Amino acid sequence: MPDGLGNRSAPDMGRRRLSDRVEAALADAHRHGWARVLSSVVRVTRDFDAAEDATQEAFAAAVRDWPRQGVPDSPVAWLTTVAKRKALDGLRRDEALARRLPLLIVPDEDDEPAPASSVADDRLQLIFTCCHPALALTARVALTLRLVCGLTTPEIARLFLVSQPTMAARLTRAKKRIRAAGIPYRMPTDHELPDRLPAVLAVVWLVYTNGHTASVGAGPGRAELVRLAGDLAATLSELMPDEPEVLGMLATIRLGEARGITRVDAAGDLVPLEEQDRTRWDQEAIRDGVALAHAAMRRTAGRAPGVYTLHAAIAAVHAEASSYAETDWEQIVALYDVLLTVQPSPVTGLARAAARSMIDGPAAALEDVERLAADPRLQDYYGLPATRADLLRRVGRNREAAAAYRTAATLTENEAERRYLSRRAADMDAAAS
Amino acid sequence: MKYMLMLFEPDTDWLSVPKDELDAALAEHSTFIAYLEQQGIPFSGAALRPSSAATTLRPDGDGALVTDGPYVELKENLGGYYVIDVRDLDEAIEVARKCPMGSGIEVRPIWDAAG
Repeated sequence: MPDGLGNRSAPDMGRRRLSDRVEAALADAHRHGWARVLSSVVRVTRDFDAAEDATQEAFAAAVRDWPRQGVPDSPVAWLTTVAKRKALDGLRRDEALARRLPLLIVPDEDDEPAPASSVADDRLQLIFTCCHPALALTARVALTLRLVCGLTTPEIARLFLVSQPTMAARLTRAKKRIRAAGIPYRMPTDHELPDRLPAVLAVVWLVYTNGHTASVGAGPGRAELVRLAGDLAATLSELMPDEPEVLGMLATIRLGEARGITRVDAAGDLVPLEEQDRTRWDQEAIRDGVALAHAAMRRTAGRAPGVYTLHAAIAAVHAEASSYAETDWEQIVALYDVLLTVQPSPVTGLARAAARSMIDGPAAALEDVERLAADPRLQDYYGLPATRADLLRRVGRNREAAAAYRTAATLTENEAERRYLSRRAADMDAAAS
Repeated sequence: MKYMLMLFEPDTDWLSVPKDELDAALAEHSTFIAYLEQQGIPFSGAALRPSSAATTLRPDGDGALVTDGPYVELKENLGGYYVIDVRDLDEAIEVARKCPMGSGIEVRPIWDAAG
């Protein structure tokens, strides 16, 4: 649960302290129920702002009523009923106003061609509307965290290190654009899905990578972003259990979480994969993640595997290896080769070169890296000098390695990474003198 | 909702292109129009003569300054348009996919004068 809910509810609680049981039920309802409640209220309001208000009010009512009446048997159904009632009250109040506003295009239940789409859940309509490709990726991310995950605007602003007014304006613009452009509140049909799903997955991936690699410093929100991405991927896989790329995304996130604890040391410094204590990896999460990665591969049968399925497969090979040296590097390189045909990228090329060095040695990989260095897209990418530095160190060219580590340190925006690279540079200086 | 599909293409004087090329382009649009009719989608549209035939007016004091040429000089220009009446953006995109693509198609909602 985002830490904001507790703060938000505090004034409504009066002097009464919530019992642990009520507190836990509220947290669980917020984390797993927000999208369910809001997405069905949108059907009533045909307006996101009104639906947000009604959903918020329903949670406030729960904070007030649950301690007295006890937690209802089905908290989400309780919240949905209350939110819908609040929404209807609001509509009656604002009827004159509402008629002047362009409303969301919500198809009636009856004229929705039921067989056109094989999945039906209000949450999916919400997700696909928030992640419509006609919205900019940053707008999609903000909308998804607000409307699907139920974060407040200040929380989203904090997670993405932008000011509150900036984030508020971004959300307002995005909602306005949905209405003005006529983006509908409905599930894409099966034949639209291949075009629409990548736009959704890109949102989950951006949330995850912002938490996982934290390109902008080691903010306190990193773990929360990873958790949110995991929740989104879990929801998607629950709603679309046959989409291999959804499973691949969830697998990648689960495997990342399983190893997350060893990625930084007690001082908050980055620990490279090679030096991580594998006995501390979460074996249960690894089993889940590996099973999901296999499922994604199986469901791909006969087609080219998707990007996230390949990421999952690579993560699974790493997670199952007993040590860095005993990793199945042949398999990793083969997977990178497929990934390069599916989605050519010099960054993937770099990762492949690093993996190849474990088979053919650092000198051969260094040649690959020198070739990639000509790519203009890598000019300001810290990973290029960082990978080069590692290979130079391994062939004993310490002075050059030190210089490359230093270049990488000036290019990275991540504080933990910068400290790690600077330390390596100093080690190389010492080794060279 | 009504949408305009704005068809951009390299500036072309269709009078000077070989006949088979012109016929092929016309046939593509005939196919598209047949699709619109078969789907029962209300539409209108027109093809534009090249931007070399354009005349532009700009505010000039109380009057207007008239110049030859298009408002913006581009390599690709608005070559024609369709106005379609569909349910929402997803349907508009679906229809636009079937339209001869040229260099690109901009999909713009049209203000509903009644609304």
